[in-house]
Amino acid sequence: MTAGLRWVGLLPAGLIVLPLLAFALGMHVPTALIIFLLLIGLMLTGMPISIALGLTVLTYMFAMTNVPITAVALKLFTGIEKFEIMAIPFFILAGNFLTHGGVARRMIRFASSMVGHWHGGLGLAGVLACALFAAVSGSSPATVVAIGSIILPAMVKQGFPTRFGAGVITTSGALGILIPPSIVMVMYAVATNTSVGQLFIAGIIPGIALATMLGMTTWYRARKNNYPRLQRATWAERWRAFRESIWGLLLILVVIGGIYTGIFTPTEAAAMSAVYAFFVAVFVYRDMPLRKVPKVLLDSANMSAMLLYIITNAVLFSFLMASEQIPQAMAAWMLDKGLGVVAFLLFVNVLLLLAGNVMEPSSIVLIMAPILFPVAMKLGIDPVHFGIMMVVNMEVGMCHPPVGLNLYVASGITRMGITELTVAVWPWLLTMLVFLVIVTYWPALTLWLPQTLGMMR
Amino acid sequence: MLRYLDHLEEWLIAFLMGGATLLIFVAVVHRYAAGVPVPVLQDALLKIHLSWAQELCIYMFIWMAKFGAAYGVRTGIHVGVDVLINRLDPGMRRRYILFGLLAGALFTGVVGSLGANYVWAIGHTDQTSADLELPLWIVYLCIPCGSYLMCFRFLQVAVSFIRTGTLPHHDIAHVEGVEEPGAAYPIADDLHPADLGQRGER
Repeated sequence: MTAGLRWVGLLPAGLIVLPLLAFALGMHVPTALIIFLLLIGLMLTGMPISIALGLTVLTYMFAMTNVPITAVALKLFTGIEKFEIMAIPFFILAGNFLTHGGVARRMIRFASSMVGHWHGGLGLAGVLACALFAAVSGSSPATVVAIGSIILPAMVKQGFPTRFGAGVITTSGALGILIPPSIVMVMYAVATNTSVGQLFIAGIIPGIALATMLGMTTWYRARKNNYPRLQRATWAERWRAFRESIWGLLLILVVIGGIYTGIFTPTEAAAMSAVYAFFVAVFVYRDMPLRKVPKVLLDSANMSAMLLYIITNAVLFSFLMASEQIPQAMAAWMLDKGLGVVAFLLFVNVLLLLAGNVMEPSSIVLIMAPILFPVAMKLGIDPVHFGIMMVVNMEVGMCHPPVGLNLYVASGITRMGITELTVAVWPWLLTMLVFLVIVTYWPALTLWLPQTLGMMR
Repeated sequence: MLRYLDHLEEWLIAFLMGGATLLIFVAVVHRYAAGVPVPVLQDALLKIHLSWAQELCIYMFIWMAKFGAAYGVRTGIHVGVDVLINRLDPGMRRRYILFGLLAGALFTGVVGSLGANYVWAIGHTDQTSADLELPLWIVYLCIPCGSYLMCFRFLQVAVSFIRTGTLPHHDIAHVEGVEEPGAAYPIADDLHPADLGQRGER
């Protein structure tokens, strides 16, 4: 503990007390500044983000407005009274049914039979398996654990350095939030009133593109270092592996197909995918005995409730922002400064990458999207493009310290320190950053598919 | 006594999760099945109206969210920004963690009381929900009940933290059917506060 840190320790307390003091003394501080300082101070104390958001709003309502405070309690209910939001618990449930080592093994077998004979061998298979498993399970840390703890020992046994495997799995595990169905996309859709269906379809090509780029990095480094390859699988083996993994993969098809053809609304598609996942896990794969189902329900409810609670309070907070006209003021300021689309997108990316240092994706999207979105609209940026860009940015945040969730999980299963792992991850992290630039400044990559399919103008 | 409350909470949210899923599944199947021209069956299906399913699903999930959030305090699943405090010395960290827990209790307590007031007020009107025609006060009852329960959970965690210096930890990386080499030591992730004894491992 350095002396410097001891002073930093007083920072949250100062950030909470100062704005309140300034307000109590009747000093002329802009309300927006008070709100933000208070929020940052409360968050830095380490309390749940939902509580920090809620307390900020409560303080604001209590001290600075004449809005009846009962409105807060009511908003806590009506804020999430939307059917679209309910896709989140359903997707979490669907993912949890299929988050199982057995499913991971099937995906790995399929992936290695398809690409294992190229340079990179198991590493390349790891990228593909992560992409598939992450899409189905919907959870990045779970992907890193499930795929990583099966494939990493096998890679080490074949002679890959631990670093290489750890780098591949840590970054590829994050692919799940870009490949639909994605919970972070639903969050963005909820926060900005964008169509979930359009976002899902728009995520397909960037998802495949990023997986390909991560695969290329793996391939290149493996070829340079001459890492072992697998024997080419016969078509019969491939067919068998495909038939085993198809039941899990069909979940993606149920969701995308169902939404695209208009058979289901996104929330209905989510519910159908949950029932489908239950059926596959219990009766087709038989990974899960029926008596485990209540446990899965409870775990899913726990995770969903946590996210819904953040949403509730984030809705309250964005209600506060709107009533103080903060996004409008920001938009006016930026346009006034002559900030163009290019500079704004750069600013957004840097801001989000910084936020990614301290928070996890759902909270960032829920807090930042309502603030940044109105500005983006003023500048004529497409809402779907903006959303996909945010999601890609979130992926990067999951793979670097201090808060990259994937990094911590990977450090758990590889027993490598965070610092060592950060070094191991960098080639793939750099690839992701390059991809982030591509997605940011090339909207056609995102918008081509939904436009071609006639889902957008 | 407390054990019964714990179980009740768990069963309630697990039931709401499963129930809502089945409900929407049945509603969708019904919508398409009723379009298939099978003589007697179609007539029977057309007589059943499931237009209220969507509303009920929303209410079930909001109830699940309120009680699940309370359960989440007990399981330590709520995420925060813990980068800073996890690097502070134990004395300072202890104060911040306690402050956070009490702030949580304060917020949920206030919201619970506001909600109770509101429910009391509309309890004396005969407002009902749009499709189900449930009395609104029953629907909104989850705000005071859920929030007060959450307040109680925050206090409970605070007391046990004062006594033992440990917090409930949610295992983010548990996957069934995988032998976990990582289970040997807890994964500290800076989205949750670390226990007081855990300093210096990073």
